Amino acid sequence: MALGILLAILGGAFVSIQNTFNANVKKRVSVWTTTALVLFLGFAASFAAGLAVEGAGLFSFQAEPWFWFSGIVGVGVVACVTSGVQMLGPSRAISLVMVSQIFFGLMWDTLGWFGLEKVPFTWQSLLGVILISGGVVLFQLGPKMEKEPYARLDTRTANANDG
Amino acid sequence: MKGIVFALMGGFFLTFQSVANATISSQIGSWQAAAMTQLTGFVLAIAIVITIRDRSYRQLTQVSPLYASGGMLAAIVLFSNMTAVHIMGVTLTIAVFLIAQLMLALAIDSKGWFDMPKKKIGRTQIAGVLMMIAGVIILKL
Repeated sequence: MALGILLAILGGAFVSIQNTFNANVKKRVSVWTTTALVLFLGFAASFAAGLAVEGAGLFSFQAEPWFWFSGIVGVGVVACVTSGVQMLGPSRAISLVMVSQIFFGLMWDTLGWFGLEKVPFTWQSLLGVILISGGVVLFQLGPKMEKEPYARLDTRTANANDG
Repeated sequence: MKGIVFALMGGFFLTFQSVANATISSQIGSWQAAAMTQLTGFVLAIAIVITIRDRSYRQLTQVSPLYASGGMLAAIVLFSNMTAVHIMGVTLTIAVFLIAQLMLALAIDSKGWFDMPKKKIGRTQIAGVLMMIAGVIILKL
């Protein structure tokens, strides 16, 4: 458990850095070109890391056919988030994305779809998820309540590679 | 209304992505899964770029090489995401990811690191993050 939390903290921190870098790329280049670049470099880095760790063993795997279509999901993320942001504005759209993400997570753990280990539903976990969602909304809409131009999340918090 | 549906679907896809990656990695290995999902995503993204005749890649030369290479960080992100999902499930993984992400985003914005416009941190935002941490503790208890 402690290792899982540590890895998630590390991963989340890197998402933030990556999305900040991507935001700087998007100042000059379109969303889709940025996405293509980011996915290509992510592939190259994972491939290199795999080769370094496993050597030729990297190539011995048996993939089910649907694995080859998994990339569609990442493209779906970018398409939906970009359209949401265009229609609702960044702060409302991103808070909604995050709230939706965490509720779908709870649903998924409960149902155990896709060979995921089932985590039994408890009212306590629902309470936890509601608190987390409340925190996200407070974080995002707080600056409006305080009438100050405080830091707020924008498109850079949701990209194809996010957790 | 349409925007709300898009945002909700965006969240669904993000969660689906974590689950799919974790499932694929448990069958073929983490690096294989990371390489495969991103390669197939790249092929699709490049197809979109070609279809909409997007020529903005020409401006890539004006982007600092450090920022342009940000995609490489995804190797670490995906590896830690898949491993964390295996250890503690999707809900907790997403929750801790979001908190770490928000806290670092706050630090980046308040210091103006990486060419980001400098912004102040509000009390409601600290309260928001604390509320999220409380949520995680309740989830974990």
